[in-house]
Amino acid sequence: MADKLLEVRDLHVTVEDEDIEILKGVDLEVDHGEIHALMGPNGSGKSTLAKLISGHPSFIASRGEVLYEGDDVLEMEPDERARAGVFMAFQYPSEIPGVSISNFLRTAINAGRDEEDEISVFDFRKRLKDALELLDMDESFADRYVNDGFSGGEKKRNEILQMAVLQPTLALLDETDSGLDIDALKVVADGVNRIGDQNQDLGVLLITHYQRILNYIEPDRVHVMIDGKIVESGGPELAEQLEEQGYDWLREEKEPVSA
Amino acid sequence: MADGTTTAELDAPGDLVSVADRLDGWLEELDEPETLVEGRREAWERYRELPMPQTASEEWRYTDVEDLRPEDFGFVEPEAARSVEIEDLPATVQEVLAGEQDRSGVAVQVDAGEVYRRLDPELEEQGVVFAPIVEVARERPELLEDRLFSSEVTDAEEKFWTLHRAIFSGGYLLYVPENVRVPEPVHAFRYLEREDAIVGSHTLVVAERGAEVTCVEEFLSPDLEETSLSVGGVEVFAGENATVRYISLQRYGRGVEHYSVQHATTGKDSHLSGFNVALGSDRHRADVTSHVEGPGSESEMLALWFGDGDQHIDHHTLQYHKAPHAYSDLLYKGALTDRGRSVFRGVIRVAQEAQLTDAYQTNRNLLLSEDSHANALPNLEIEADDVRCSHGATVGQVDESQLFYLKSRGLTPLQAERLLVFGFFEEVLGRVPVEGVRSRVRSAIERKLGF
Repeated sequence: MADKLLEVRDLHVTVEDEDIEILKGVDLEVDHGEIHALMGPNGSGKSTLAKLISGHPSFIASRGEVLYEGDDVLEMEPDERARAGVFMAFQYPSEIPGVSISNFLRTAINAGRDEEDEISVFDFRKRLKDALELLDMDESFADRYVNDGFSGGEKKRNEILQMAVLQPTLALLDETDSGLDIDALKVVADGVNRIGDQNQDLGVLLITHYQRILNYIEPDRVHVMIDGKIVESGGPELAEQLEEQGYDWLREEKEPVSA
Repeated sequence: MADGTTTAELDAPGDLVSVADRLDGWLEELDEPETLVEGRREAWERYRELPMPQTASEEWRYTDVEDLRPEDFGFVEPEAARSVEIEDLPATVQEVLAGEQDRSGVAVQVDAGEVYRRLDPELEEQGVVFAPIVEVARERPELLEDRLFSSEVTDAEEKFWTLHRAIFSGGYLLYVPENVRVPEPVHAFRYLEREDAIVGSHTLVVAERGAEVTCVEEFLSPDLEETSLSVGGVEVFAGENATVRYISLQRYGRGVEHYSVQHATTGKDSHLSGFNVALGSDRHRADVTSHVEGPGSESEMLALWFGDGDQHIDHHTLQYHKAPHAYSDLLYKGALTDRGRSVFRGVIRVAQEAQLTDAYQTNRNLLLSEDSHANALPNLEIEADDVRCSHGATVGQVDESQLFYLKSRGLTPLQAERLLVFGFFEEVLGRVPVEGVRSRVRSAIERKLGF
């Protein structure tokens, strides 16, 4: 049997230099071609999971394991994970003044390649142009410095643009919907769907507070995280139930009042 | 003027006599117009009266030259101009010349002597002069009057300035008459190959009313085993409504110490742009002053440095506003790695009559290693009351969150750092109008980053 795309087993995560446990035993599986939504209230640990998988230096796995196509992700450097096909769309991406998006993306594509295997200028231009069209963006966008002076919406779009160009196998979308108006949300969601159409192997872990984006990106599975644990999993109908009822019923169910 | 054929070999070094032992005798024999010789004599006298700059002074606190004895270095006597073919020029100079075609003029000086020069004949017809200062002093002294060595230097600059005035050799006047536009850069190379020697080239740029010119001065040498000194001086005059861009690109090898005093003056409504790049040498010290004397004029001051090994790079700047309604903007950015050291001390001085001045000063330093160190000292001295001025300086390391962001896209730590360094410099480099200069600076930075 082929390896699962992502397997998270009994994962416990603490913040570097602090004794606070944020994830308290998470189990999760995402297979190729699947879209999973991870929902939950603020501070429940959703973003921590995405950051840990992408290799953010502030978080440490104290117990458990994370396998990406069978390989132990926790043993890999952040750049190795990226080159293996893990992509993180950041909630708050960094600004890199002086570095154009196109220069940045060409460097990123060539990062793991030998000189003779580097992408040709022609192929790169084509790939970039297709990605820009996919997200309804002007070609001049790629000449701008990475996120420098971008609006919140432009930053989110730029993340998905990078995803389209870098063509990952696992995409972690960390609140890509937050701060977007409905038109921008549709464009971004449409972009993610079309990237998925082009790559049937792509698995997506979509982290969000709100059910809204799930109207445009239909998940195969929905998980709810509360206080560092996944407390409920289900189909798309779970998201609708959360929209109607909020998270309280799950809290009560999982945290019985002590006597 | 110099054009044509080979008349001498490039390298014929004998033992040099020190400046201290040779200069007086040399001045006796010197076949130069009396005004120049007299100027040299006065400067030499003054030089001997002055002590070396002291680290007790604010201006030299971080650059210790107290034990330096420039006059003990070998004096390279300027020879009559000799001409060589392009093929006989130093390889590094040829390399640059081959890489760029479009130049309105080129001059090459090796040590103290000029070996090659050309100027677009069309420009010559329009009255543009591009010639050695000694030659101009003989043939058209009026072009030098009130300009050559007219700059008001500070006490802190005077020691090296007087030495430069006494020993300067080669160097040129670039004169652009009224409303003449020099379409491509004029490029002067200063190539240093003598060891244990001292040379000093002077550059005088004069743009008359409405004229426009871009001038690139590039300093090159092989790595030297015995230290040599380069003691340069630059004077730039932008007439009314003129546009002058001056670029100094210091790419000396190791074993060279470069001391440079630069003064530029703006006329009414003129545009002046100065760009200083320090990549080479063991030690680099530049004192750069913009005299903003023309109402409505603009002065842009840019610099970039990247020190590695044990390099020491020191810039002192003065934006001196003496006229109202003028603008100056300084952006100096430097990166350091290994045990590199840098100093920036910048002053904005606004005289009482310079109302409605806009003056800005920014210095940013990027430290890439534990053992590198940068000192930044911005200063304001404002006597006028209706002005807009700001200054700021930062010293920092590569931003961890930027680094992680780049790594999360697959860039290795080295590639990520490299991209961030380029991004850091791009803010300055993007404002430099000569593509060849930009690309040579980028390749030099790449080499320093180990690519």
